[in-house]
Amino acid sequence: MKNSPPPGESHNVKDPSSVTLSEKSVLLNKSSSFSAVHAERPRPRAPRRALSSVDESCSRGTIDEDKEDGEPECHRQPTLDEVSHEIDGFIDALSSMEDKSNAPEIPKSLGTFANMIQSEIDKYESGDSPLKFGQDLGQDTLVINAVNRTSKLIDLLENFPSDNKINPSLTLMILILQRAMSIMEEDLRVLLEDSMKPPSSDSNKTPKSNEPESTEPDDQKPKEDKEEHKEIYPGISLETANNMKMIASTMISAGYEAECCMAYVALRRSTFKKAIKQQGLHNISMDEVQKMQWEPLEGHISAWIKVVKHVSQVLLPGERRLCEFLFSSSSIADNMIANLARSVAILFTNFAEAVAMTKRSAERLFKVLDVYEALNDLTSAIEGSMGSHETANELRSEISSVRSRLGEAAVCIFCDLENSIKNDVARTPVPNGAVHPLTRYTMNYLRYTCDFKQTLEEVFSLHRMTEQRLERLEPRRDDSSNNSSNESESSASKQTPFALELMTIMNLLDANLEQKSKLYKDLYILQKIKESTEIHGLVENDYRRRKSSELRGYHKSYQRETWGRALQCLNQEGLQVNGKVHKPILKDRFKSFNQIFDEIQRTQSSWVVSDEQLQSELQVSISAVMIPAYRSFLGRFGQYFTPGRQYEKYVKYQPEDIESAIEGLFDGSNQNFSMARRR
Amino acid sequence: MWAGAENQGNFLGRISIRRNQVASMEPDTHVEDLDQFHKLISDKFSPLLTDYPHHHDHDGDATPSAAGDAFLSAAWVRKLLDAFVSCEAEFRAVLLNGRDLTQIVKPPLDRWIPDLFDRVVKALDVCNAVTHGVEAIRFMLHQAQIVASALEQRPFTEGQIRRARRALAAVLSSIVVDERDGGGKTTERSWSFGRRGGGASSKERHHAPNFRSLSWSVAKNWSAAKQIQAISSNLYTPRGGECSLAQSVYIMGMVLVFVMWAMVACIPCQDRAGLGTHVPVPKNLGWAQSINVLQEKIGEEWKKKEKKGSSGLMDEVVKVEKLAQSLTELTDNFHYPMEEDKEAEMAAKAAKLAEVCRRMEDGLGPLQRQVREVFNRLVKGRADVLEVFDHAIKHCNPSV
Repeated sequence: MKNSPPPGESHNVKDPSSVTLSEKSVLLNKSSSFSAVHAERPRPRAPRRALSSVDESCSRGTIDEDKEDGEPECHRQPTLDEVSHEIDGFIDALSSMEDKSNAPEIPKSLGTFANMIQSEIDKYESGDSPLKFGQDLGQDTLVINAVNRTSKLIDLLENFPSDNKINPSLTLMILILQRAMSIMEEDLRVLLEDSMKPPSSDSNKTPKSNEPESTEPDDQKPKEDKEEHKEIYPGISLETANNMKMIASTMISAGYEAECCMAYVALRRSTFKKAIKQQGLHNISMDEVQKMQWEPLEGHISAWIKVVKHVSQVLLPGERRLCEFLFSSSSIADNMIANLARSVAILFTNFAEAVAMTKRSAERLFKVLDVYEALNDLTSAIEGSMGSHETANELRSEISSVRSRLGEAAVCIFCDLENSIKNDVARTPVPNGAVHPLTRYTMNYLRYTCDFKQTLEEVFSLHRMTEQRLERLEPRRDDSSNNSSNESESSASKQTPFALELMTIMNLLDANLEQKSKLYKDLYILQKIKESTEIHGLVENDYRRRKSSELRGYHKSYQRETWGRALQCLNQEGLQVNGKVHKPILKDRFKSFNQIFDEIQRTQSSWVVSDEQLQSELQVSISAVMIPAYRSFLGRFGQYFTPGRQYEKYVKYQPEDIESAIEGLFDGSNQNFSMARRR
Repeated sequence: MWAGAENQGNFLGRISIRRNQVASMEPDTHVEDLDQFHKLISDKFSPLLTDYPHHHDHDGDATPSAAGDAFLSAAWVRKLLDAFVSCEAEFRAVLLNGRDLTQIVKPPLDRWIPDLFDRVVKALDVCNAVTHGVEAIRFMLHQAQIVASALEQRPFTEGQIRRARRALAAVLSSIVVDERDGGGKTTERSWSFGRRGGGASSKERHHAPNFRSLSWSVAKNWSAAKQIQAISSNLYTPRGGECSLAQSVYIMGMVLVFVMWAMVACIPCQDRAGLGTHVPVPKNLGWAQSINVLQEKIGEEWKKKEKKGSSGLMDEVVKVEKLAQSLTELTDNFHYPMEEDKEAEMAAKAAKLAEVCRRMEDGLGPLQRQVREVFNRLVKGRADVLEVFDHAIKHCNPSV
């Protein structure tokens, strides 16, 4: 439908044949269709006036021509081209006139010109399916050229004192211009509104309507087809944009900039509004955000993030392209985009502000940080599309103030985390030596926070700057005293603020676990080893070194605590009474070894040491102690049991079983054990 | 700009708590503070009555003050917001620099302060709605500017008149909305194009975007009047024996309600039905006297305009509307050539319109920025007070 014009018509314009001319005159005489349209207007009086003045000039035009008997072509109407040429001559004459005190003679061709344009404009207004701008490029060009001449004439004629000689012509010209402008304004709206339709349902429309193209040989088409895929803005093809540009530049040069911009702004706003809605962001008041449960709010935040990214990455840059394309004046383009960007940015920051105000709790941190990061995108989109426009500065400051509040919210969440670790006093151990929920929670949490490493660095360094400014007035923050003591302070200068915060939390966790480990004895320490190794990538080397030496200590103590008792059973001392192996003691030893070993298997088979190096180190060192001890113990004392039932009762494990059992430790699957047992 | 500067004050609250632990209780300072607060309110709000002549120009023949600013003009609204900003700053100072912050976690403040937070959040929504209303006025202004420029040249001709008439229709429809329509009737295509269908609707009818179709940030069923009512809920006059800090919190709540109410009355906002009844400004309180009178005057104006499906009381908007109405009438009766007196009348109205447009254009930008500043200050103030409040709670109940 919005295809380029049928080639025939555009041809007509450039080389008007007699057929076209007669068509034109038919149209001229068919004023009934024209007046019918007007008669139905809601305000009949004024239009009738208009009509009469048009009729007047129409008839005068004809009379003039008839009267002018000197002209040989009295039976042939001049073509529009010829008339236009005469008008151009008149325009030149007017603009070269220095004395503007006396009204010039109005050439009779002006009347003809007026009639011709009117009838051309009629095509856009009357009939069952009036033309729209953009449908017939040849016709559009014809009208636009005429409009340009008209507005030039108006400008020039207005310089002369109003008098009866020029007034009728001036009035007519202004009226014609107004008609053309109303049509263009409306067609601009239509073009803009059409482009608003959801791209998903319409995405096939353009290719479909172009389908007959292949059969229609036209040298213009292939090129156009290629370019049509290049969209200036989502949903606005190059062709549509060209049509809009044509209308916009005509309107602006004719002095209808205000109307043009109003139409543009209004519809672009609607487009953005619609796009935002389509992406799932609904208008919710800030008050509602405060009252909302976290779960639905989380959904809104996700939608918000999606929309902000879409607007920042697609819509705003697209809008910039479109504005630049449509408006050759950069100041108009800048204002258009500033207007739109401002509304969008304020809409987005309001929501972000509302989120920053909500109750602060640990689970919200990540969404808060997501929002923070999305605002980064928005800032760069605004920089990209508006540059140094004054509105850009205003918006930058809006966004940065919201971000600083979101940052404060994030810092507060960390503070709360510190406090909750400090205040977490468990009195009962977690059953079966499972990972303590606090540990698991905190460490997982910290691990996730590292996904936001860069953002958190920014947040914490901003926060630290604020703090430092205030530290001059007040000694350090109340509570963060004891735990972040010597070591962290010594390395504080070298560390980034976020690493420092992480360390503070881990030290707190350490201290807390130290406390708790008393409840768990050996079991807990292993978990702790595990967790410590997982985060060691996040912090500085010396901390890591310190931790790994601690780790070795834990390793040793784990070995001692867990395997020591088993090893004790294998002690060769105390077995002999009077130089002879005492069988009941021996039985006892085997029995308790089996028991201890089973126990270890039961409780520790699901333990995981995710650090591979540590895992194999642990395995090797346990094997190195256990296997030789067991092997020699078994080798020496196994023979005391009667082969068969008795032997099997007391010697449940062969050294190989022990070995494979140890090899299966800490890798997260306890299959090896069951296999060993089956043997 | 303000944002950067404001950020620095972040932890001042803690300082005052510090100080407060050391200093002994000095209830008298609060009384002094309160007196000062009262005085500030009188000082800031009474010029709003005296410096701006009440506009009794029912024919649009305003004789504005020397500065050109009438009662309820854009400049007046800005002055109102100035007054509010001063009060808010003073309130923050009174509350945060107080000597005895243990009070704020005791009744009635332990409830009143969270209530105030709640009011502030609601006021933020009002600010957003008003920002959007200013945007609508700006649309109206642009249309009015088209009218004014179309009618600049004399003698008037059909073309100019048509151009003006199109824009006039847009001026009159840009803000006036059926306020009682909760949004249900609104269709996505709030302006439709009929010219090609049946030919009944002409191009002369301007399908201008209206207020609601341009709406961005305001939720569908949001009502400015209900919001004002919500802001003022639970706002009780403190009893005589109540501490002076409680008085300050009450006063701040009052001023907030009043300013938001006045702003909503002036600037178009979604659903203002019943706005006239929603401000519980206490009578017979010295400090509130100017606010009382202001409220009465604005209330009267509101009652007068409410029935007409008002686009708000803002002086410039009212004037533009009046001029647009008489210009519509004149243009509807236009015929060429115009009688001289008619033409002179039209020209005079058009010139007046141009003048109002100029003032509007100068006033709207600063007004919009100022509404935003109020928004930002409310956010900041809330954050600061909240911080101190939370801290005080933790401090006073270590178990929490």
